[in-house]
Amino acid sequence: MTKWIRWWGLGAFVVFAAILSCVWIFAVDGWVKGVIEAAGTKAVGAKVEVDAADLSLFPAGLSLTRLQVTNPKRPMTNAVEVARVITGLDGLNLLRRKVIIEEMALEGVRLGTPRATSGAVKPGSDVSPEEEETGMFSLSLPALEVPDVKNILEKEGLETLRLLEALKADMQREQEVWESRLKGLPGKAQLAQYEERVRNLKKAGKGGLEGLLGGVGEVQALKQDIEQEIASLTGAKKEFEDTVVLLRTRYKQIQTAPQRDIQHLKTKYNLSPQGLANMSQTLLGPQIGSWVHQGAAWYERAKPLLEGARTVGGEDGPQVHKPLRGKGLDVHFKEAHPLPDFLIRVTKVSVGLDLGDLAGTVHNITTDQPTLGQPTTFAFSGDRLKGVQSVALEGALNHVEPADSKDQVIVQAKGYELTNLALSKDAKWPVTLTSGMSDINLNAELKGQALTVHGAGNFRDLHLSAGKEGDPNSLTQALSSAVAGVSQLSLQADVTGTWEQHDVTVSSDLDRILQDAAGKMVNELAEKFGAELQSAIAAKIAEPMQQLKDNLSGFERIAGELTKRVTQHNDVLNSLLEKSLPTKGLKDLPGGLKLPF
Amino acid sequence: MIKLLAKLLRVLNSETDPGQISLGLCFAMILGLTPLLSLHNLFVLLLVFILRVNLSAFLLGLALFTGIAYLLDPLFHLLGLTVLTAPSLADLWTFLYQSMWWRLEHFNNSIVMGSLMFSVSIFVPVLLLSNLLIRRYRQHVMVWVQKSRLMQMFKASKLYQTYETLSSWRPG
Repeated sequence: MTKWIRWWGLGAFVVFAAILSCVWIFAVDGWVKGVIEAAGTKAVGAKVEVDAADLSLFPAGLSLTRLQVTNPKRPMTNAVEVARVITGLDGLNLLRRKVIIEEMALEGVRLGTPRATSGAVKPGSDVSPEEEETGMFSLSLPALEVPDVKNILEKEGLETLRLLEALKADMQREQEVWESRLKGLPGKAQLAQYEERVRNLKKAGKGGLEGLLGGVGEVQALKQDIEQEIASLTGAKKEFEDTVVLLRTRYKQIQTAPQRDIQHLKTKYNLSPQGLANMSQTLLGPQIGSWVHQGAAWYERAKPLLEGARTVGGEDGPQVHKPLRGKGLDVHFKEAHPLPDFLIRVTKVSVGLDLGDLAGTVHNITTDQPTLGQPTTFAFSGDRLKGVQSVALEGALNHVEPADSKDQVIVQAKGYELTNLALSKDAKWPVTLTSGMSDINLNAELKGQALTVHGAGNFRDLHLSAGKEGDPNSLTQALSSAVAGVSQLSLQADVTGTWEQHDVTVSSDLDRILQDAAGKMVNELAEKFGAELQSAIAAKIAEPMQQLKDNLSGFERIAGELTKRVTQHNDVLNSLLEKSLPTKGLKDLPGGLKLPF
Repeated sequence: MIKLLAKLLRVLNSETDPGQISLGLCFAMILGLTPLLSLHNLFVLLLVFILRVNLSAFLLGLALFTGIAYLLDPLFHLLGLTVLTAPSLADLWTFLYQSMWWRLEHFNNSIVMGSLMFSVSIFVPVLLLSNLLIRRYRQHVMVWVQKSRLMQMFKASKLYQTYETLSSWRPG
């Protein structure tokens, strides 16, 4: 047996293992650093750098020194720079290939720090130009002069004229149709035939009982023929009356069409005071919209991390996940105490912003919330900051049920100082908020794809400047004067829709103030413009309207003809029944026979 | 490599127990066919060190089986996946999946499972076969080879010089 045992081999193995361990211990820090930099760079699309990494085994933990994450859009700027990251690792779970961090501390977090070298992965390839801001605020102020009505009517297609032409053509066509139909309907020729048949019957009635009995059948047939003709005429008359009623309704609609044209033209040429009633929307809507777009961009970047590559051991049996080529496939099974592959239970963050330090805690950062069964929550706050008395931010990113995800953020800022905020960069009427204080509450919720944001702000101690010096425009002068007098405001903003398509609704006291200041002026101009348009349109449509009226009277002739024919046929029928046939002797028919009518 | 081959020739032609050579080859087969950084390979390495297996055969076998492993990876993957997804074994794998050590072994990887199953299942047959072949070689082939014209030419080669040099270093 001993010939098979090599005792010195045990020592050699120990030495070999010790050498391997030493190599690992000395090399692992560099390896971890490389892995973090490579994975981070791939995820961000720009360089992620770590000055040093230190992995300790007893207790298991990792600390990183100076973590820099480049802003992909600005390679010479770090989106985030963290002076020190300290993490405590769950060693046992690490052996199970799960990175479970009980607590992580991020110290000295700063945003937007400059870089010494470019952080672009491919030089010049990922630098997107800054969003063009000029022109973002294009104000739609009411116009100030009454536009030339004659020119407008020449180039604008009026709805009134369109309706007029259409009705005229339809009337013409209907008239031709009915003239043609009149020819086909029973008229004088048929009446003459019936009168002849009645006369024949009278003659037959004088030929005794035999002639009388033979005439009964003829009378019945004649009566049915006349009644059919009357029904045909009555139906045509009814149809004609309906047509005329429809044409008259359209005629009446044309009489009110000029008002709609006037309203449309007033709006088109900005002579509507509604523009002032919605000035908050005009001034702040685009800005809020751009914030929503920025939020969407950040959310889209974070979304893959929230929904993650799920490596959960399935409830429905083993799940297969495909790793790199040539490395085989990992088959995952249900775990008794499932944990995500990556989890940071608590992250303590201290962010150094220009306005001061913001401290907060994030719970349950993971790529696999369904396995953990808990959402990611966060809360940050800061007091006595530069330019803001207090700010609090809290929220939850709940993707525990990916099909029913719900993300919520609540922001409260008190005593937020506003300085030199350009509300409008429009050349016609620039508006700048020089200084002011505000209390802002914001509640944003994304449920599935449905985005709902409600913001409310109370602004006080405001100093606003608006307009240009020497502005000759009386409206903008009035507006500027009104804006300069505003010292406090309340503002409500709502965003509904999805990240891609959303509606921004903004309302504030400013709308009322501006409408009070310049609404009367705009109204007067609008009334003048409306009156001029009305008289011009009335003149333009007077002749076509008279023609239509004449055409309608032409329909009365057709109506009269149809009525006349119905009456004549009824007369013939009555004469057949009451006067033309002999009634004497009919009462004495043998066997108590009765006539069938 | 020349030195390694020379060593192997020396071992084959020596009085070394065929079992030691075969066992070295078989351990090399497990280490070479399965992914190197696996927990079970540490155990195999320990066995290689403390059992009196032939190290030359082990090292040569390791080089040989590592090369073969690249060719057999698709087969190992299919085999491993079939075994890991077999419904009748699901309870066993689920049970092992709860264990930290088995997770560290990465048994749930198709190539680890496939290659380990393959190499373990042919371990004994390969051991017996190689034992038999070495004995047959020594009984029948070695003398004939020594006298062959090819061997005469080989003895004049650099490889043989190396073999001779190494043989002269042999203690005793």
